Amino acid sequence: MSLGIEHYLILSAILFSIGLYGALAKRNAVVILMCIEIMLNAVNIAMVAFSRYLMPDTVVLTGQVFAIFIMTVAAAEAAVGLAIIITIYRNRRSVDVEQADLMRG
Amino acid sequence: MNFWLLSPELSLVGIALTVILLDLFIQQKKVLAAISVFGLIIPIAFTIALWGENQASFSGMLVVDNFSLFFKFLILGITSLVILSSMDYARKFARFQGEYYALILLSAGGLMLMGSTGELISIYIALELASISLYALVSFLKDPKSSEAGLKYMILGAISSAVLLLGMAFVFGITGTTHLDQIADKVGALVSGGQLWDSPALLFGIVLLIAGFGFKIASVPFQMWVPDVYEGAPTPITAFLSVASKAAGIAVILRVFYTAFGIAEISADWAMIFAVLGAISMTIGNVVAIAQSNIKRMLGYSSIAHAGFLMVGLAAIGTLGQSGVLFFLAGYALANLGAFIAIIAISNKIGSDEIADYSGMARRSPVISFALAFSLISLIGIPPAVGFMAKFFIFNAAIQQDLLWLVLIAALNSVISAYYYLRVVKVMYVNEPTSEEPIPSSIPLRISLAIASIGVLVLGVYPWLVLRLAENAVAMFP
Amino acid sequence: MLADYGYIALLLIAAITVPALILLLAKVVAYKSKRPDPDNVKSSTYECGMQTIGSSWVQFNFRYYFYALLFVIFDIETVFLYPWAVYFRQLKFFGFIEMLIFILILVVGLVYAWRKGVMEWK
Repeated sequence: MSLGIEHYLILSAILFSIGLYGALAKRNAVVILMCIEIMLNAVNIAMVAFSRYLMPDTVVLTGQVFAIFIMTVAAAEAAVGLAIIITIYRNRRSVDVEQADLMRG
Repeated sequence: MNFWLLSPELSLVGIALTVILLDLFIQQKKVLAAISVFGLIIPIAFTIALWGENQASFSGMLVVDNFSLFFKFLILGITSLVILSSMDYARKFARFQGEYYALILLSAGGLMLMGSTGELISIYIALELASISLYALVSFLKDPKSSEAGLKYMILGAISSAVLLLGMAFVFGITGTTHLDQIADKVGALVSGGQLWDSPALLFGIVLLIAGFGFKIASVPFQMWVPDVYEGAPTPITAFLSVASKAAGIAVILRVFYTAFGIAEISADWAMIFAVLGAISMTIGNVVAIAQSNIKRMLGYSSIAHAGFLMVGLAAIGTLGQSGVLFFLAGYALANLGAFIAIIAISNKIGSDEIADYSGMARRSPVISFALAFSLISLIGIPPAVGFMAKFFIFNAAIQQDLLWLVLIAALNSVISAYYYLRVVKVMYVNEPTSEEPIPSSIPLRISLAIASIGVLVLGVYPWLVLRLAENAVAMFP
Repeated sequence: MLADYGYIALLLIAAITVPALILLLAKVVAYKSKRPDPDNVKSSTYECGMQTIGSSWVQFNFRYYFYALLFVIFDIETVFLYPWAVYFRQLKFFGFIEMLIFILILVVGLVYAWRKGVMEWK
């Protein structure tokens, strides 16, 4: 038995599901951000695995390039997200998303 | 590498950077708004000069054709109206006007690129450039509602882009390329080989793509962020979000699905998904909107309903549906902007977005009230406003494609929507005013309100002006 | 292919046994004092120095976050510099100008943060 693409895809699927579960079920906004990062990294694994296994001989590194772009965009997203969380914390001394319920209806 | 093709976006980003830098060194912040508005003339001029161009550059990452130029023009127009109408509102954050205008311009740059890429990586980058600027803009006010709206938008937006990326990963994994035209070739080969559904991964990827883009255009079941974000965000940003972001989302959907998955064996499947989601979107949006007391929230649900109407056009495969969607977007943009600009003027004075506080507004400020009423009538779809023509073209396209059931649902929904739009008109015209003070408005705001209202009327009477352009724009689709 | 992972398993086994052995050895060899320990000094974390005051789970000043945010942004952008550096010769002068523009945009961000006083500790 050797390591094939399916192993990487299963790993990616498990990580993505963990991230999605955490992002939807956790209450701490910072933890939710971390879970989103897990989801994005799961996608990175899938991208690189596809690129490596389906096009092993080409010099075209589409999947790898895509992964690099996802990493940079994720950093920018995390920066803006943390900044928003800091403003929320200053307003109400808590980063619990269940308490962010000023608007209903 | 042809920088001439990229000139609208390059000049727009250049203006945004200039505004950020000037903001650091000048005290008179009003200059920044003027630079932003007059600066927008440059990218608009480039866009007009490029009209008729049809080529790809940057190894297929940038596609300039009439379709992308139509959306560039639409988004630049929306951006200039939004900036014009923000000048009064910007007093609330006088010190941070530079960032505000620069972020709007950057976001517009991202939205423009979304419509003109033929490749998945650049679609993602453009989408995130637009979204991240919008996250910051939504949480721009100092009050807790705005930060809360920003947090919700950011978290849900990030989750949806992760889902979109997983979809892109699967499409890339099955087809081995991120270029839309090469994906189309590969899918065509799979179809002719009879092995299209050997692996469900492609179908899975397509469904995830619909989910990711559905978030952008606020369709069910990815609509839960809409009312909260619309209520909490600064009103000009709500306007921008409701029209520009939706327009760019539709542009991406049209290009990705018609270019990459346009082959008849698949298009019937995704068209059915859009039809069902569209029917649910309009019904939920319109029914829940009835119960709203805050006008921004009500327009939020109305925006979900309009996403449903747009999806009727997406479900009606063919040139009629495509050009109908483009025309609908232009009409919806004008009508919704008109409504929001009137709301900005009124809320600047009375400091409230509750519909009950609008009572007797017609006597306090007849012009603004009339503009708001006319925009709402257009949103219902009553002639002579543009909303009627827009719905007419889309419904016609759907009937040609044997989607009578969908058109019946949509027509029924238009009737339901009349109730809550007309309720606002009734409050303004029939109820007694609480005070006699008129609503003040600045010259730029009046100009933008006039452009939006006249646009609604002119396009309602002479729809061919824009419909020609829309037909020209979609001619490139196979 | 999978056999290569055997080395990792070996490393795992070694990593568990060596510390366990050392701890066991310490337990056997160590001299145990019979006298009572009145100040609990012997059972404190470090047998000398100051006692810690309060919990170590304190909140950081939020100013640290600005530095952290700036670091995250400027740190991750270098990811584009590496592939560019590897292909620098093939990209010729055009690539050089493009990277200058990229860095110029980052510099605009830095100037902005600087002028806004993010770098100052007020």
